[in-house]
Amino acid sequence: MSLKLEAGWYKHAIIYQVHVRTFSDANGDGIGDFAGLAQRLDYVQELGVNAIWLMPFFPSPLRDDGYDIADYRSVHPSYGTLEDFKSFLSIAHDRGIRVIIEMVLNHTSDQHPWFQESRSSKDNPKRDWYVWSDADSKYRGTRIIFLDTEMSNWAWDPVSKSYYWHRFFSHKPDLNYDNPAVQEAMWDVMKFWLEMGIDGFRLDAVPYLIEREGTNCENLPETHAIVRELRKRVDEQFPGAMLLAEANQWPADLRPYFGNGDEFHMAFHFPLMPRMFMGLRLEDRKPITEILQQTPEIPPSCQWCLFLRNHDELTLEMVTDIERDYMYDIYARDKTMRLNLGIRRRLAPLLDNDRRRIELMNGMLMSLPGTPIIYYGDEIGMGDNIYLGDRNGVRTPMQWSGGWNGGFSSADPERLYSPPILNPVYGYQAVNVLSQKRTPHSLLSWMQHILEIRRSTPVFGSGTIEFLYPANHRILAYVRQLGKETILVVNNLSSAAQSVELDLRRYKGNILIEMFGRNIFPRIGDLPYFLTMGPYQFFWFRLRKI
Amino acid sequence: MAEETLLTDEFLRQLINVGEVDIVVGLSTHNHAKTIGPVVGAIQAGILKCFPRERVAIINADGGSQDGTTELVKNASIDDLWRDSKVYALRTLHCISVRYARVPDPSRALQTILAGADLLRAKACVIVSPDSTTIQPDWIQRLARPAYSDNFDLVCPIYQRQQFEGALVRNLLYPMTRSIYGSRIREPYGSEFAISGRLVTDFLGNGIMNHDWARMGPEIALTILAITGKYRVCQSCLGAKNHSMRNAHDMVGVMRRTVGALFASLDGNFSFWSAVNGSEAVPMLGTQAELPPETARINRKRLLEMFAGGVAQLEPVLRSILSPSLLSELQRIAALGLNDFEYPAELWTKTVFEFAASYHKSTINRDHILQSLVPLYRGRSLTFLSQNRNGSGDNLETHEESLCADFERLKPYLLEHWAERK
Repeated sequence: MSLKLEAGWYKHAIIYQVHVRTFSDANGDGIGDFAGLAQRLDYVQELGVNAIWLMPFFPSPLRDDGYDIADYRSVHPSYGTLEDFKSFLSIAHDRGIRVIIEMVLNHTSDQHPWFQESRSSKDNPKRDWYVWSDADSKYRGTRIIFLDTEMSNWAWDPVSKSYYWHRFFSHKPDLNYDNPAVQEAMWDVMKFWLEMGIDGFRLDAVPYLIEREGTNCENLPETHAIVRELRKRVDEQFPGAMLLAEANQWPADLRPYFGNGDEFHMAFHFPLMPRMFMGLRLEDRKPITEILQQTPEIPPSCQWCLFLRNHDELTLEMVTDIERDYMYDIYARDKTMRLNLGIRRRLAPLLDNDRRRIELMNGMLMSLPGTPIIYYGDEIGMGDNIYLGDRNGVRTPMQWSGGWNGGFSSADPERLYSPPILNPVYGYQAVNVLSQKRTPHSLLSWMQHILEIRRSTPVFGSGTIEFLYPANHRILAYVRQLGKETILVVNNLSSAAQSVELDLRRYKGNILIEMFGRNIFPRIGDLPYFLTMGPYQFFWFRLRKI
Repeated sequence: MAEETLLTDEFLRQLINVGEVDIVVGLSTHNHAKTIGPVVGAIQAGILKCFPRERVAIINADGGSQDGTTELVKNASIDDLWRDSKVYALRTLHCISVRYARVPDPSRALQTILAGADLLRAKACVIVSPDSTTIQPDWIQRLARPAYSDNFDLVCPIYQRQQFEGALVRNLLYPMTRSIYGSRIREPYGSEFAISGRLVTDFLGNGIMNHDWARMGPEIALTILAITGKYRVCQSCLGAKNHSMRNAHDMVGVMRRTVGALFASLDGNFSFWSAVNGSEAVPMLGTQAELPPETARINRKRLLEMFAGGVAQLEPVLRSILSPSLLSELQRIAALGLNDFEYPAELWTKTVFEFAASYHKSTINRDHILQSLVPLYRGRSLTFLSQNRNGSGDNLETHEESLCADFERLKPYLLEHWAERK
């Protein structure tokens, strides 16, 4: 069944990011699968999200957790079959949950038949589907993204005795988007999934589609032209389907990806996320307000995607050197926690498992302008394992119960795709869905509550934002407004109690209704509105003039 | 509680907004609009460069400026809307200003700043002079770091001085403080210094500021408290320091605030200083490059006239202060010609000690005692200038050290006069 695709549905979505492999194993082989995921959709629905974003589930050698795709039109055998996917999709839609899948446009696995053909001979018809060169000297102005593993963006292919271009791992050659045949082939792939009923794509590594000498090979006009063409076809043939850009760029560089509302519907706000963590530890709103002030207006039909953590490292590419040093010192003093230009840790360990800080960060995530994404397991405060390689430490099995393998799989523990978290603080015996469901004050219950409140009003998804700048810099306060509905959000970033005076004179006469407890606060008058706030406390007030 | 009387509601409101900080930088101002801009700019640059992660606030205690000084300070705040393409700030920097009085009162200004620092739980408080136009950004680190990170309680400055600068410090304040209190603090009365949070709390809470002498010279009171309270003291080399011409012609005023405070401090600290023998070196951080010699145009004749005239005109007063033999010796040298004039170190030391003893005893009005010291100091200055006119930095150092040795050696002379006159 397909859900009716209302225009702009994504603006009011709350997205849950899941990796099929990590969520639930139905067939007992130690690897999560679509059948298992389908069985857990009741949980996802109860949590209160209304969209799922699936990480790559396609056939792949899995050298980069599925982002190295070897076949775009099928399902990795470990995760089930195409029929299993269709079944999952149908069940999700039955529950009102939309499904966003990953589409890795920029590159394939070196095991993809396209690349195998391309490397086989310089005369092969698919030779020009990838970027080849006899020398490794072209595009020298291009940065290397995976600094920890790659020395160059060129790799030598002993088969075809040429260099091929890759912006990520050398086993992921970049497709050549200057070739119209590649563009058509990728559109065919997207159409394949859209016809099946999926609701949108998260398009991976978008800025790197095109290479040009003398540039940094990122965000080029030709790349935007390709995106516009894809969007046009989506709108014409699959109206309502959504395109989400993964473009780890500064806000000013990101803005063009929305075009005039004719490129992406949504894009991740990468620079905001590390600054939320920074603001929290500095106990200073400046990093947050500063980056949001630098964030340009986007077309009305577009939306930012906000997140606290995801399947990758907490990326520190979009921060200054001084900010990166600070983040490393504060959040990743142990160098094992660092990867590339980021920190490979989950939300709860990053916040020292401090419930108040976890709530505050989620409160900001849900109330700042954009569509929030919750990374699986963060809703129960799962931990990580920094001693697993690459980013696998934040991709451990979902913790469903305190029983066998944490309820993830009935397989022998040794057979699991990854060891579950076992330590006494974050291990599945301490942190799991089952136990938190039984406790009304658990993090899971709290998350359900805040998502319910978020869903109760369209203001958070579509409203404007106006920052208040109280003299106390530890207080981050803003007003969200949509039509006649106004919500005041006040966050205390400090570990200590704070008092704050808010200039709310323009809302004089309104009473404040605290949205979590629905208690009434005093009416706004001519004097500054005085609030005292506990450590890391936040308020959401609905303003009502009665 | 000292802060209850020092903190206006408006100041308190500003402090609430600042919240807990790591470092406070204090500025006491009064009509400093001409110089405050570069000073605040250097402080801000020093904070951003050396303490980008620390929570720092600049507190300005203003004594009724009418020239926009306070606005210049407040405008240096770094908040959400701050834009500077050249400098990046990780966090908010509050610059707050409070008018503590309608007329300047250095003692109250310092107490106001320290009360603010105490309430904000600052680990270090740096005081900077608002007319230090030669201030460099790294002065903030040189002053703050020892108190903030290295567990020192008082960080005194060492300025790079031209050979003729700082005559009062070199001839009286340093040698006397050193011999009396046993610590070799070169600038016991520096206009830039830093103190630890615990010394701030002690200073505000122990009642020292209830004494007139401490209110007269709050900086020297702080130094003496640090020494007598066995706090950890160090000295930090800053660099060349310009000297405001504001008080250049008010030698009596300077004498009151410095020498007067030093003399007065002896009363209450007798049991401490009378037991001190010799002196101990105080750790010095950083290195000091020597300034190139400067040719100074000094009216030596005028200095001699002031000395000789003072000795003659103030004879009845000096007779109440000094012993007959010492006064007679002064009268002898007052009669010397310019080329033969010398005010020897030992004679000068005894003079200062007898003045200190008379001040203690209040043989005459204490203010008159200090005023009477001024012409004698002119005579000693003449000898100091003559000795060092053609000398190198080393030569100056030798003379200075020799004078200090005399002060230490003759300390029993002070004790003798102290007791005798009692």
